[in-house]
Amino acid sequence: MADQREQYTNPKYYQNRELSWLQFDRRCLSEARNKDNPLFERLKFLSITASNLDEFFMVRIASLQDMVNAGYKKRDIAGMTAKEQLDAIIEDTHNFMQSQYWTYNHQLLPGLRENGLDVVESYKKLTPEEKSFVDEYFINEVFPVLTPMAVDNSRPFPLVSNKSLNICALLTRQEGTGQGIPGYLQKPKKPAKESKETRALKAARNAGELRAVLDEVKEAKAAKEEAKAAKEAAKAAREKDPNAPKPAKEAKEGKDGKEGKGGKNKEAKTGKDNKEKDLFQYATVQVPAVLPRILELPESENRRVIFLEEIIRHHLDSLFLNYDVVCAYPYRVTRNADLTIDEDDASDLLKEIEKQLKKRQRGYAIRLEVEHGMDPRLLDFLKKEFSVSQEKIFEIEGPLDLTFLMKLYGLDGFEWLREDRYARPQEIPRLPAGCNIFEQIRGGDIFMHHPYQTFQPVVNFVAQAAEDPQVLAIKQTLYRVSGNSPIIAALAKAAENGKQVTVLVELKARFDEENNIVWARMLEHAGCHVIYGLAGLKTHSKITLVVRREDDGIRRYVHLATGNYNDTTAKIYTDIGLMTCRDDIGEDATSAFNMLSGYSEPRYWNRLALAPLWLKDRFLYLIDRERDHVLRGEKGLIRAKMNSLCDPDIMSALYEASAAGVRIELIVRGICCLKVGIPGVSENIRVRSIVGNFLEHSRIFYFENAGRPEVYAASADWMPRNLDRRVEILFPIEDKEIAKKVIHILDVEMADTVKAHILKPDGSYERVDRRGKDLIDSQRVFCDEAVKEAQEAERPRGERVFVPAEPAAEE
Amino acid sequence: MANLFGAIDVGSHEMELKVFELSKKNGIRQIDDVIHLIDLGSDTYNDGKISVVHVAEIKRILLDFKRIMDGYGVTNCQAYATSAFRDMENATVVLRQIEQETGIHVEILANSEQRFLDYKSIASKGEEFNRVIQKGTMIVDVGGGSIQISLFAKDRLVLTQNMLLGILRLNELLGRIGAGSHKTRELVEEMVNSQLHVFERLYLQNMKIKNVIVVDDYISEVVRKNKVSFQTRMTDTLEKTKQNGEFISVRDFRHFMAAMERYNRTELAQRLGIEDDNVPLLRISAIMMRCIADRVNAELFWFPCVTLCDGIVYEFAEKRRYLKAPHDFEQDILACARQIGRRYRSSEERANTIARIALKIFDSTRKFHGMSAREKLLLEIASTLYDCGKYISMTNFSECSYNIIKSTEIIGISKIEQEIVACVVRFNHERYSYQKLIAEQSPLGEEQCMTIARLTAILRVANALDRSHRQKFDDLQIRIQDRKMFILVETGEDISLEKGLFSQRADFFEEVFGIRPVIKQKKG
Repeated sequence: MADQREQYTNPKYYQNRELSWLQFDRRCLSEARNKDNPLFERLKFLSITASNLDEFFMVRIASLQDMVNAGYKKRDIAGMTAKEQLDAIIEDTHNFMQSQYWTYNHQLLPGLRENGLDVVESYKKLTPEEKSFVDEYFINEVFPVLTPMAVDNSRPFPLVSNKSLNICALLTRQEGTGQGIPGYLQKPKKPAKESKETRALKAARNAGELRAVLDEVKEAKAAKEEAKAAKEAAKAAREKDPNAPKPAKEAKEGKDGKEGKGGKNKEAKTGKDNKEKDLFQYATVQVPAVLPRILELPESENRRVIFLEEIIRHHLDSLFLNYDVVCAYPYRVTRNADLTIDEDDASDLLKEIEKQLKKRQRGYAIRLEVEHGMDPRLLDFLKKEFSVSQEKIFEIEGPLDLTFLMKLYGLDGFEWLREDRYARPQEIPRLPAGCNIFEQIRGGDIFMHHPYQTFQPVVNFVAQAAEDPQVLAIKQTLYRVSGNSPIIAALAKAAENGKQVTVLVELKARFDEENNIVWARMLEHAGCHVIYGLAGLKTHSKITLVVRREDDGIRRYVHLATGNYNDTTAKIYTDIGLMTCRDDIGEDATSAFNMLSGYSEPRYWNRLALAPLWLKDRFLYLIDRERDHVLRGEKGLIRAKMNSLCDPDIMSALYEASAAGVRIELIVRGICCLKVGIPGVSENIRVRSIVGNFLEHSRIFYFENAGRPEVYAASADWMPRNLDRRVEILFPIEDKEIAKKVIHILDVEMADTVKAHILKPDGSYERVDRRGKDLIDSQRVFCDEAVKEAQEAERPRGERVFVPAEPAAEE
Repeated sequence: MANLFGAIDVGSHEMELKVFELSKKNGIRQIDDVIHLIDLGSDTYNDGKISVVHVAEIKRILLDFKRIMDGYGVTNCQAYATSAFRDMENATVVLRQIEQETGIHVEILANSEQRFLDYKSIASKGEEFNRVIQKGTMIVDVGGGSIQISLFAKDRLVLTQNMLLGILRLNELLGRIGAGSHKTRELVEEMVNSQLHVFERLYLQNMKIKNVIVVDDYISEVVRKNKVSFQTRMTDTLEKTKQNGEFISVRDFRHFMAAMERYNRTELAQRLGIEDDNVPLLRISAIMMRCIADRVNAELFWFPCVTLCDGIVYEFAEKRRYLKAPHDFEQDILACARQIGRRYRSSEERANTIARIALKIFDSTRKFHGMSAREKLLLEIASTLYDCGKYISMTNFSECSYNIIKSTEIIGISKIEQEIVACVVRFNHERYSYQKLIAEQSPLGEEQCMTIARLTAILRVANALDRSHRQKFDDLQIRIQDRKMFILVETGEDISLEKGLFSQRADFFEEVFGIRPVIKQKKG
């Protein structure tokens, strides 16, 4: 059987995952270009594509770069080496970013203007009133927080932090001023007009100077360390692969040592360099992140905004007294941020992550974005300073870092440009406000579909448990929690009320570590038993267990979900959740927490399947079972919805099942390495992706099982990282009515004609051909259904108010 | 309201906590099961002491167990340590330390007590257990160093025997011989068969065995995992074991073994979802089970997949009367004692008479001795075995009885209790001496010596009343009045022999209880 599967592992049957991911970002971009969407929503989509891409650079491209640097030769599932992937992706991202800016410049900007919002690109285009407003703003708000840095022999290029926006300037010395010292460090020769304002300015500047000097000292140290680390890394890489070329600098030094002449040449060259440097001086200043990126100008006919970097650029000469600013351009650098921690060496994970976070600022540069038309001298200078190769430089026609569009989206007003066709989260009929959740759960399993239905009951579940005198213990996994999370507050409260609270805080949630450490500490202070998961495995499962002592014994209430315990994202991500007090699931929940606390695997599982030990086998079993059913002449059908599909074992099993005749319908939002329509391999597989108003996030799995269908939900995608390196939970949907609802979700999404994109055999995605079909936007359908359901539930409850109250029975 | 109970087992390779909920209505319900792997066994092998590192680990885990128990509002907790601790030199010191720091008192179980709890754990399976033992049943309790084979006939435990065929021991032996894996089968079969042969000849005789109940760590793990877990990639044959759950016919078991032979160690570990290191042990275990089943022509295996903790809670539930119809283990202990008596050809009839009289005296004088049901059980065992030494020597039989009882395993009683029974039998005939007891029997404390004295006094009187071995005192009544115990015998027979020899026994009884036994005959 294994041999049979082998034939489905041919690289030509697979798509590279990074290229597939870029396809996904293209689908997001297509929503930004989709005229059916309100204009402001399109801004949001474009912003999302940009922040997605940032992360993609910091993590995926960076790790490919690491592989290339380390001389890693292994090919991916699609048969590409790291180098090949990197080349293909860099090329693709150049095209992609061009599309992003084309959309911004040619679709969104004109659209905004038509709707009465001007994005002013240059200070020069401001009216005189606006100019004085902006000048005032600069002096009062911006100037005090700026830290200009000059670069020369004694002052190395400062550390520019990841994703920050900066302005680089080329300066020349004004005649008759001190040599090589930037103006801001000099005492003015003649007293300037001593207005109050300038005195204040000076004071602020002095503070700034002090900071700058201190920072420089610190950073010089950091740079040294970094250089040392880099050298060691290079050495390590060389030891692994003796054929790798030596770093240029060392090679050169070696050469210089041998040939006496080399030294002279070098001196001569340096001399020339110095001359040029005498003429020009480089400086850089960070656009402060503490200030809003866009400034709204005083009301005129149209509402108008201007970029912070444009304001700074215009006032740059006030930072460099005695110097002329020849030119100045914004730039932005994206660094390697893939967080890898050796947990075996890290005795205290918490401390280790704090350390890594500091290091993250100093990852090497993976992308340099500069404004189109940047002075070649400046560009050369930056290229050298960040040691990036040409293909990693992106010249941008427009404002750098499009995530500012989210800020634009946040402007008040413009209601007619926002989405209002999607209803707000609705009340869940089984869980009306003020109900006793435990009582409701005892009445039968409760299903929740977010964000169509409110997430509040999940918060209430923990909050009620915290106050309920019968509750003994609460256990919960927390992966990404929102700021000011009410769940965290409830957990802390529970601990204060003497409940035994065990919280698994996953510190390794990408880009969220800082947040998580704060929560972890806070919960510990409140008296919670905080655990940090298992070494080497991210805890991605979402599960809450409440142990309650009732008259007839201990009863366990469990909440299982596909989405995080984050009340903010629960308004944007589509997820499903289940509340139950079934004994078998309760037992499994207890076992799961025992395992997460570091105890041995339980003697058995009743209903749940956990990654990394059992989940993949479970999925493979379920897929193979469909295949076997078909081979026995039954009908075979697999339907699965997830965020990404790239696990090789699962995909080859799917191919085998498809080849046997199992119909396979997949709803994969993001990466999909599987190809459709390969003759004899994947002709029975259909893949669609839904990119809509909400982020599709639930994972649902349906297996026909020869007429005895089984429905599951999980926290895991079909990705190696989910199945092999994370703690994930698959839970069955056993209640018949709930199973119907879950199957209905799949039905409607399969019928979506508005937000669905269909994967074609050539690997591209196309929108659904709507000819002869109804317009079905699955997300809107779910909204409407949730509204209807809530309204229907409302009615009988209203009537019940009139039922006369009976005197309380004697107990 | 239900009672919550924590059972802790500090074993030689793992520590386990099970939390149970006990109620009259629902009996025993398991709430939580926490397992922590810890290799205490190798400490024993290395230098006979528990290492400092392990002591610290035990404390840490026990503290966490305590936290977990608190989380459920556990009110009672029983912790036992087994073989690893039993053989440790520094066990007492360590346990004292542990108790001081964790507040958990850990008791060390004797082999027979541990085995007894294992039976209780099987009994905790309730109806299934009762159903299985209706037919001739053998329990094979497989440990690392030895195995314990026990026989059930008509739902009574009748015999138990320890054999040095523990899995780790066999594995080590095979390693020393340097046998390749293909030789494993032959060698294991040979070793097992030679011992089984003796067992069969001496103990099994004509008993028919239909069922074999297996308590082990390896096959049970496979059965358990493949029954309910999601380990599903198995061959069809292996699949079958899954279908039938914990019960496997001997025929299917043979298929299972044949299937096992087709895979190498790594493949097997993967397919069965067990540790690679455990595969050789699984093989040995399986070969041994097949040998046993073949030898006795058994038809069905049962793997109840229980642990010591299940036995611990069963014991507690029994004591607190949470069980509706518990299996009567005292009867098993007595059945075992009777079986020993039979082996040494004691007169069963006589033993029964003496026991009946002794128990009657015990019950009537409760106010004076204050002993519990447990001591009563010991008295009954002692009465049953009161003259087993005669099998060896008619003259020196008290010494011989003592030695027989001391070296025979009586399931369900502790080492100390065994010592008590042996002494009671011995002093039934020998002069009782406190000094001698204290001097010779260092493990016995003052309290135990008192128990011996009390039980001896009762047994002696009972024995004296049946001096002629003709069961003249079938029907007797006891009345206590004015510090005298009147033994009213309704018999037409001549009891002058008994009366004549009685006074010496009566002296000792009076010395111990402060009341004097007096025989009164009422001719019927």
